[in-house]
Amino acid sequence: MITAEQKPIEEIRHMIMPYKKILLLGCGSCVAECAAGGEKETAMLASALRMAAKMNREDTLIQEKNLDRQCVRDFIVQLDGIIHLYDAVLSLGCGAGVQAVAEIFPEVPVIPALNTEFLGQTKDQGLWLENCLGCGDCVLYYFGGVCPLARCSKQLMNGPCGGSRDGRCEVDPETPCAWQLIIENLTRTGGLERLESVFPPKDWSRKQGRGPRKIVREDQQR
Amino acid sequence: MNQESRLKSILEKGIFAVTAECGPPRGADPDAVLKKAGMLREKADSVNVTDNQTAIVRMSSLAACAILKQAGVDPVLQMVVRDRNRIALQSDILGASSLGIRNVLCLSGDHQSFGNQPKALGVFDLDSMQFLQAVRAMRDSGLILGGEALTKPPRLFIGAAANPFADPMDFRVTRLAKKISAGAEFIQTQCIYNMDRFRKWLQLARNRGLTERVYILGGVTPLKSAAMARYMKDRVAGMDVPQTIIKRMEGVPKERQREEGIRICVETIAELRELAGVKGVHVMAIEWEEAVGEILDRAGLLPRPSLD
Amino acid sequence: MTLKWRPVIAFFYCQNIPEGGWEERLAIEKKHKGAVRLFPIPCSGRIDGVHLLRALEEFADGAIVATCPPGGCLNFEGNLWARKRAETSRKLIKSIGLEGERILIVEGTAGKSLDLMGLAEGFLQKISLIGPSPVLYPKDMPPGTGVGFSLKGESVHDYC
Repeated sequence: MITAEQKPIEEIRHMIMPYKKILLLGCGSCVAECAAGGEKETAMLASALRMAAKMNREDTLIQEKNLDRQCVRDFIVQLDGIIHLYDAVLSLGCGAGVQAVAEIFPEVPVIPALNTEFLGQTKDQGLWLENCLGCGDCVLYYFGGVCPLARCSKQLMNGPCGGSRDGRCEVDPETPCAWQLIIENLTRTGGLERLESVFPPKDWSRKQGRGPRKIVREDQQR
Repeated sequence: MNQESRLKSILEKGIFAVTAECGPPRGADPDAVLKKAGMLREKADSVNVTDNQTAIVRMSSLAACAILKQAGVDPVLQMVVRDRNRIALQSDILGASSLGIRNVLCLSGDHQSFGNQPKALGVFDLDSMQFLQAVRAMRDSGLILGGEALTKPPRLFIGAAANPFADPMDFRVTRLAKKISAGAEFIQTQCIYNMDRFRKWLQLARNRGLTERVYILGGVTPLKSAAMARYMKDRVAGMDVPQTIIKRMEGVPKERQREEGIRICVETIAELRELAGVKGVHVMAIEWEEAVGEILDRAGLLPRPSLD
Repeated sequence: MTLKWRPVIAFFYCQNIPEGGWEERLAIEKKHKGAVRLFPIPCSGRIDGVHLLRALEEFADGAIVATCPPGGCLNFEGNLWARKRAETSRKLIKSIGLEGERILIVEGTAGKSLDLMGLAEGFLQKISLIGPSPVLYPKDMPPGTGVGFSLKGESVHDYC
């Protein structure tokens, strides 16, 4: 899923400052799972912003609404007839959600309340880890199910580098060395011999070859 | 400008080779490079020029190599894949060769978070292995990545780094083998303080016949103080400084620690010269280039032989 | 304003605490009518940050949570979550310039009864010292200059 974290409240206050009527828009998908932009977080941020406005005698109306998905048109259109009552939307969606809402309702400024972070897994309660780069050409088969592009700090496809020590990454000792994991996995499940030959340079055109990527599926279209 | 790599010639003649290291200045100051050139010229066969080492902005390695070359030194151009994509890397390889630079060392590079530009984008388009392979193909086949032909291939002696002390140990020699198949002709190792572990690594390399396929230069760095030894052990990634070395440095008073550091370095070089499969030494005297002459003199490696 | 001000607190407590019963509740409500708003809940784990924030936003100068002793939660870890959420809420109110002390969480001690009346009165006293909530009684300051607004030395361009 996509992970995100809330921006500092000072930054949010700065961005919404010019507006009098603000709709906080939560999202029930990925950012709810990572406790950044779900219903609860939206209610808390709204309450905090209302309090800050009151403390500073700002005459601001701050209200909340949640969509199940902020990046899908069919959900966003639920805002029809509502969104125009506001001067701005403060979105607790990921970057995709913010832009999708802005595209469908171009008259209303949509402001991000979150910093979108990465594609990752919920490793544990309160712990999310980056493990996919979205490179468009999955290589996990070759690397024992551990992505060296997302999980090795230097994106080595022929690692490990000389800094790996006790299975830890030299850049952040809290991070396991991806290459240590790759070698362990392939030792356990077979396929270590795959690492004997040089893995060729990555075809980055699959990620950024012609600018922003798109997926077209005619079987899914009307 | 078209002469061969001195490093390559020395190694091919079977002479125990000596390389040193020159860190370019943190400014646009050619005199600083020339000063280091003066200190190292007669002492080492070739001089490595680091490429924004520890991710700190310095004069470009390529420019400093060109200055060294003009000053009569055979430079080894260090190139990291951290800062340049494959277009820039291949372009700089052509540039280096046309400036008369004849040695290149292909590296990953220290992560950008360690240096003075932690907000920088790390490129890592190629990794060091793929970069080695690309340089080798440029030189031997005259082809760039993707298969287009060069009008004139670069002339370079191609090297790589190896760290015998990093984990996982079993894979270290596999990685060395990969670097050789990717195109490395010489290897400069991480600083050796743990001689036991280095011997083990070398033995494994010999068992796979790797020492016959590549020239290995053992890396050494003279310690300036006990504090430096502790710092390298605790804070420098991929460094293995055993307690015995730290104890030895701590065992002498502060004012004699530099001398002790030089003595350890000289002893290490003597041991390296006895090891089958080690073809030279790479002296990395970090911001202490003036010590290189003394170390090599006491190690019996001076004067350097003439090739004429 | 300050002449007439009397602190109001929101008191969230776990009903499973032995003393959390009806009698005690009546006694507190009788003695501190209007000043202590009681919110008995089946488990402190049901408390969410938004409950504390809404209380502070709408009527309370302070919010207190009383939980059962560590390890004593009927639902295993409800009190642990109550603590975490209270801490998160405290951080959030501090970030807008409100005193963090306006949120308090108290854990019971195993084998000892929890004195709800004492806790309520102690917290009332503490809030009296901190003073009226600037959310409910904004100080006389022009809009946009409150504490919650400082950019903390960061350039505005960092956000642009």
